[in-house]
Amino acid sequence: MAEFELDCLGEACPIPLVKTEKKMQELDVGDTLIVMIDHSCALKNVPEWARKNNYDVEVEEVGESEWEIFIDKTA
Amino acid sequence: MKLSSNKYYQTWFKNPWTYVTGAILLSIFQLVTIATTDGAWGVTGPFAVWGAWVVQAFGGSVDHWYFFSTESGRAALDRTFLTDPASVRNLGVIIGALLATLLASQFKFKKIKNLRQVGAAVFGGLLMGYGSRIAFGCNIGALYSGISNLSVSGWVFALFMFAGAFVGSKLLVKYFMQ
Repeated sequence: MAEFELDCLGEACPIPLVKTEKKMQELDVGDTLIVMIDHSCALKNVPEWARKNNYDVEVEEVGESEWEIFIDKTA
Repeated sequence: MKLSSNKYYQTWFKNPWTYVTGAILLSIFQLVTIATTDGAWGVTGPFAVWGAWVVQAFGGSVDHWYFFSTESGRAALDRTFLTDPASVRNLGVIIGALLATLLASQFKFKKIKNLRQVGAAVFGGLLMGYGSRIAFGCNIGALYSGISNLSVSGWVFALFMFAGAFVGSKLLVKYFMQ
Protein backbone atom coordinates (compact mmCIF):
# COMPACT_ATOMS: atom_id res chain seq x y z
CA MET A 1 0.00 0.00 0.00
CA ALA A 2 2.87 2.35 -0.75
CA GLU A 3 2.41 5.89 -2.02
CA PHE A 4 4.45 7.40 -4.84
CA GLU A 5 4.71 10.95 -6.15
CA LEU A 6 5.28 12.00 -9.74
CA ASP A 7 6.23 15.65 -10.22
CA CYS A 8 5.01 16.80 -13.64
CA LEU A 9 4.83 20.51 -12.82
CA GLY A 10 5.90 22.59 -15.81
CA GLU A 11 5.47 19.70 -18.23
CA ALA A 12 3.12 20.04 -21.18
CA CYS A 13 1.08 17.31 -22.84
CA PRO A 14 1.53 14.54 -23.52
CA ILE A 15 4.52 14.15 -21.17
CA PRO A 16 2.50 13.85 -17.91
CA LEU A 17 0.38 11.09 -19.45
CA VAL A 18 3.34 9.13 -20.84
CA LYS A 19 5.19 9.46 -17.51
CA THR A 20 2.11 8.31 -15.60
CA GLU A 21 1.66 5.28 -17.85
CA LYS A 22 5.30 4.31 -17.31
CA LYS A 23 5.22 4.86 -13.56
CA MET A 24 2.01 2.89 -13.05
CA GLN A 25 3.71 -0.18 -14.56
CA GLU A 26 6.29 -0.12 -11.76
CA LEU A 27 3.69 0.05 -9.00
CA ASP A 28 2.29 -2.99 -7.20
CA VAL A 29 -1.43 -3.62 -6.91
CA GLY A 30 -2.78 -1.60 -3.98
CA ASP A 31 -0.22 1.20 -4.38
CA THR A 32 -1.23 4.82 -4.99
CA LEU A 33 0.37 7.27 -7.39
CA ILE A 34 0.03 11.02 -6.89
CA VAL A 35 0.64 12.93 -10.12
CA MET A 36 1.30 16.66 -9.69
CA ILE A 37 0.36 18.69 -12.76
CA ASP A 38 -0.17 22.32 -13.78
CA HIS A 39 -1.35 21.91 -17.39
CA SER A 40 -5.10 21.63 -17.72
CA CYS A 41 -4.86 19.21 -20.65
CA ALA A 42 -3.27 16.64 -18.32
CA LEU A 43 -6.25 17.16 -16.03
CA LYS A 44 -8.33 15.67 -18.82
CA ASN A 45 -6.21 12.93 -20.37
CA VAL A 46 -4.53 11.47 -17.27
CA PRO A 47 -7.77 10.69 -15.36
CA GLU A 48 -9.37 9.53 -18.63
CA TRP A 49 -6.55 7.06 -19.23
CA ALA A 50 -6.65 5.84 -15.61
CA ARG A 51 -10.42 5.28 -15.64
CA LYS A 52 -10.10 3.38 -18.91
CA ASN A 53 -7.74 1.04 -17.03
CA ASN A 54 -10.30 0.69 -14.22
CA TYR A 55 -8.10 2.44 -11.67
CA ASP A 56 -9.70 4.53 -8.93
CA VAL A 57 -9.06 8.20 -9.65
CA GLU A 58 -9.47 11.31 -7.57
CA VAL A 59 -8.51 14.85 -8.52
CA GLU A 60 -7.75 17.61 -6.08
CA GLU A 61 -7.22 21.26 -7.00
CA VAL A 62 -4.34 22.24 -4.73
CA GLY A 63 -3.76 25.77 -6.04
CA GLU A 64 -4.36 28.10 -8.95
CA SER A 65 -3.79 25.90 -11.98
CA GLU A 66 -2.23 23.16 -9.87
CA TRP A 67 -3.74 19.74 -9.36
CA GLU A 68 -2.92 16.42 -7.75
CA ILE A 69 -4.31 13.30 -9.37
CA PHE A 70 -4.57 10.29 -7.04
CA ILE A 71 -4.54 6.99 -8.89
CA ASP A 72 -5.02 3.70 -7.04
CA LYS A 73 -3.63 0.68 -8.81
CA THR A 74 -6.63 -1.54 -8.21
CA ALA A 75 -5.72 -4.39 -10.51
CA MET B 1 -22.16 30.79 -0.26
CA LYS B 2 -18.77 30.87 -1.91
CA LEU B 3 -18.77 31.66 -5.61
CA SER B 4 -16.33 28.84 -6.29
CA SER B 5 -18.89 26.24 -5.17
CA ASN B 6 -21.80 27.76 -7.12
CA LYS B 7 -22.89 25.17 -9.68
CA TYR B 8 -23.52 27.72 -12.44
CA TYR B 9 -20.08 29.22 -11.93
CA GLN B 10 -18.57 25.74 -12.15
CA THR B 11 -20.48 24.80 -15.31
CA TRP B 12 -19.81 28.02 -17.19
CA PHE B 13 -16.40 29.17 -16.03
CA LYS B 14 -14.58 26.49 -14.03
CA ASN B 15 -14.99 23.12 -15.70
CA PRO B 16 -13.78 22.69 -19.26
CA TRP B 17 -16.54 22.61 -21.86
CA THR B 18 -16.87 19.36 -23.76
CA TYR B 19 -15.17 18.84 -27.13
CA VAL B 20 -18.61 18.69 -28.78
CA THR B 21 -19.63 22.07 -27.35
CA GLY B 22 -16.34 23.52 -28.56
CA ALA B 23 -16.74 22.00 -32.01
CA ILE B 24 -20.26 23.38 -32.43
CA LEU B 25 -19.19 26.86 -31.33
CA LEU B 26 -16.17 26.79 -33.67
CA SER B 27 -18.41 25.78 -36.57
CA ILE B 28 -20.86 28.60 -35.90
CA PHE B 29 -18.18 31.24 -35.50
CA GLN B 30 -16.20 30.19 -38.57
CA LEU B 31 -19.42 30.74 -40.55
CA VAL B 32 -19.78 34.15 -38.90
CA THR B 33 -16.14 34.83 -39.87
CA ILE B 34 -16.73 34.03 -43.54
CA ALA B 35 -19.99 36.01 -43.61
CA THR B 36 -18.55 39.14 -42.01
CA THR B 37 -14.97 39.26 -43.33
CA ASP B 38 -15.27 37.49 -46.73
CA GLY B 39 -12.37 35.26 -45.70
CA ALA B 40 -11.91 31.90 -44.04
CA TRP B 41 -10.63 31.71 -40.49
CA GLY B 42 -6.83 31.72 -40.24
CA VAL B 43 -4.33 32.51 -37.52
CA THR B 44 -0.74 32.61 -38.77
CA GLY B 45 -1.24 34.73 -41.91
CA PRO B 46 -1.28 37.98 -39.92
CA PHE B 47 2.01 37.06 -38.20
CA ALA B 48 3.83 37.43 -41.52
CA VAL B 49 2.06 40.75 -42.12
CA TRP B 50 2.97 41.98 -38.61
CA GLY B 51 6.59 41.10 -39.38
CA ALA B 52 6.40 43.07 -42.62
CA TRP B 53 4.90 46.08 -40.77
CA VAL B 54 7.84 45.98 -38.33
CA VAL B 55 10.31 45.90 -41.25
CA GLN B 56 8.49 48.84 -42.86
CA ALA B 57 8.43 50.76 -39.57
CA PHE B 58 12.25 50.62 -39.55
CA GLY B 59 12.38 51.91 -43.12
CA GLY B 60 12.78 48.52 -44.78
CA SER B 61 10.91 47.40 -47.85
CA VAL B 62 9.19 44.08 -48.49
CA ASP B 63 7.97 44.94 -51.99
CA HIS B 64 10.38 42.54 -53.66
CA TRP B 65 9.48 39.65 -51.32
CA TYR B 66 7.67 36.94 -53.21
CA PHE B 67 5.24 36.41 -50.33
CA PHE B 68 3.87 39.96 -50.65
CA SER B 69 3.95 40.12 -54.44
CA THR B 70 0.44 38.70 -54.77
CA GLU B 71 -2.61 40.93 -54.84
CA SER B 72 -3.92 39.65 -51.50
CA GLY B 73 -0.45 39.99 -49.98
CA ARG B 74 -0.25 43.63 -51.07
CA ALA B 75 -3.77 44.29 -49.85
CA ALA B 76 -2.91 42.91 -46.41
CA LEU B 77 0.13 45.21 -46.19
CA ASP B 78 -2.03 48.25 -46.97
CA ARG B 79 -4.31 47.62 -44.03
CA THR B 80 -3.61 48.63 -40.46
CA PHE B 81 -3.92 46.48 -37.38
CA LEU B 82 -7.41 47.76 -36.61
CA THR B 83 -8.68 47.44 -40.20
CA ASP B 84 -7.29 43.91 -40.59
CA PRO B 85 -9.96 41.45 -39.37
CA ALA B 86 -7.48 38.60 -38.90
CA SER B 87 -5.17 40.71 -36.73
CA VAL B 88 -8.00 41.90 -34.50
CA ARG B 89 -9.31 38.33 -34.26
CA ASN B 90 -5.91 37.06 -33.13
CA LEU B 91 -5.84 39.72 -30.43
CA GLY B 92 -9.34 38.57 -29.43
CA VAL B 93 -8.13 34.98 -29.11
CA ILE B 94 -5.38 36.06 -26.71
CA ILE B 95 -7.66 38.32 -24.64
CA GLY B 96 -10.39 35.66 -24.59
CA ALA B 97 -7.98 32.97 -23.42
CA LEU B 98 -6.67 35.26 -20.68
CA LEU B 99 -10.21 36.12 -19.59
CA ALA B 100 -11.24 32.45 -19.50
CA THR B 101 -8.25 31.42 -17.41
CA LEU B 102 -8.77 34.34 -15.01
CA LEU B 103 -12.49 33.54 -14.62
CA ALA B 104 -11.62 29.94 -13.80
CA SER B 105 -8.91 31.28 -11.46
CA GLN B 106 -6.34 29.15 -13.17
CA PHE B 107 -3.84 31.79 -14.24
CA LYS B 108 -0.28 30.80 -13.50
CA PHE B 109 3.23 31.54 -14.73
CA LYS B 110 4.53 28.04 -15.31
CA LYS B 111 8.10 27.42 -14.36
CA ILE B 112 10.57 26.41 -17.03
CA LYS B 113 11.96 22.99 -16.20
CA ASN B 114 15.12 23.08 -18.26
CA LEU B 115 16.83 24.84 -21.15
CA ARG B 116 15.89 21.97 -23.41
CA GLN B 117 12.23 23.05 -23.14
CA VAL B 118 13.15 26.58 -24.25
CA GLY B 119 15.25 25.31 -27.14
CA ALA B 120 12.52 22.97 -28.34
CA ALA B 121 9.87 25.70 -28.09
CA VAL B 122 11.94 28.20 -30.08
CA PHE B 123 13.04 25.67 -32.70
CA GLY B 124 9.56 24.16 -32.97
CA GLY B 125 8.00 27.62 -33.25
CA LEU B 126 10.33 28.56 -36.10
CA LEU B 127 9.55 25.32 -37.95
CA MET B 128 5.81 25.81 -37.48
CA GLY B 129 5.94 29.44 -38.58
CA TYR B 130 8.01 28.65 -41.67
CA GLY B 131 5.93 25.58 -42.50
CA SER B 132 2.64 27.45 -42.25
CA ARG B 133 3.90 30.14 -44.66
CA ILE B 134 4.97 27.69 -47.38
CA ALA B 135 1.70 25.76 -46.85
CA PHE B 136 -1.70 27.45 -47.08
CA GLY B 137 -1.59 28.24 -43.39
CA CYS B 138 -1.46 26.49 -40.05
CA ASN B 139 -3.76 23.81 -38.67
CA ILE B 140 -6.52 26.44 -38.62
CA GLY B 141 -6.13 28.14 -42.01
CA ALA B 142 -4.92 25.12 -43.98
CA LEU B 143 -6.55 22.23 -42.12
CA TYR B 144 -9.72 23.43 -40.42
CA SER B 145 -10.74 26.09 -42.93
CA GLY B 146 -9.49 23.97 -45.83
CA ILE B 147 -11.58 20.94 -44.94
CA SER B 148 -14.65 22.89 -43.85
CA ASN B 149 -14.63 24.73 -47.19
CA LEU B 150 -14.41 21.42 -49.08
CA SER B 151 -10.86 21.91 -50.31
CA VAL B 152 -8.77 18.81 -51.03
CA SER B 153 -5.70 20.71 -49.81
CA GLY B 154 -7.02 20.46 -46.25
CA TRP B 155 -7.02 16.66 -46.42
CA VAL B 156 -3.52 16.57 -47.91
CA PHE B 157 -2.39 18.86 -45.10
CA ALA B 158 -4.05 16.51 -42.55
CA LEU B 159 -2.18 13.51 -43.91
CA PHE B 160 1.21 15.15 -43.56
CA MET B 161 0.31 16.73 -40.23
CA PHE B 162 -0.34 13.26 -38.80
CA ALA B 163 3.00 12.09 -40.18
CA GLY B 164 4.69 15.07 -38.52
CA ALA B 165 2.86 14.47 -35.24
CA PHE B 166 3.96 10.83 -35.30
CA VAL B 167 7.64 11.76 -35.73
CA GLY B 168 7.24 14.57 -33.18
CA SER B 169 5.82 12.29 -30.52
CA LYS B 170 8.69 9.81 -31.03
CA LEU B 171 11.20 12.66 -30.58
CA LEU B 172 9.28 13.87 -27.52
CA VAL B 173 9.47 10.49 -25.81
CA LYS B 174 13.14 10.14 -26.74
CA TYR B 175 14.35 13.55 -25.56
CA PHE B 176 11.86 14.71 -22.91
CA MET B 177 11.09 11.68 -20.79
CA GLN B 178 14.00 11.57 -18.34
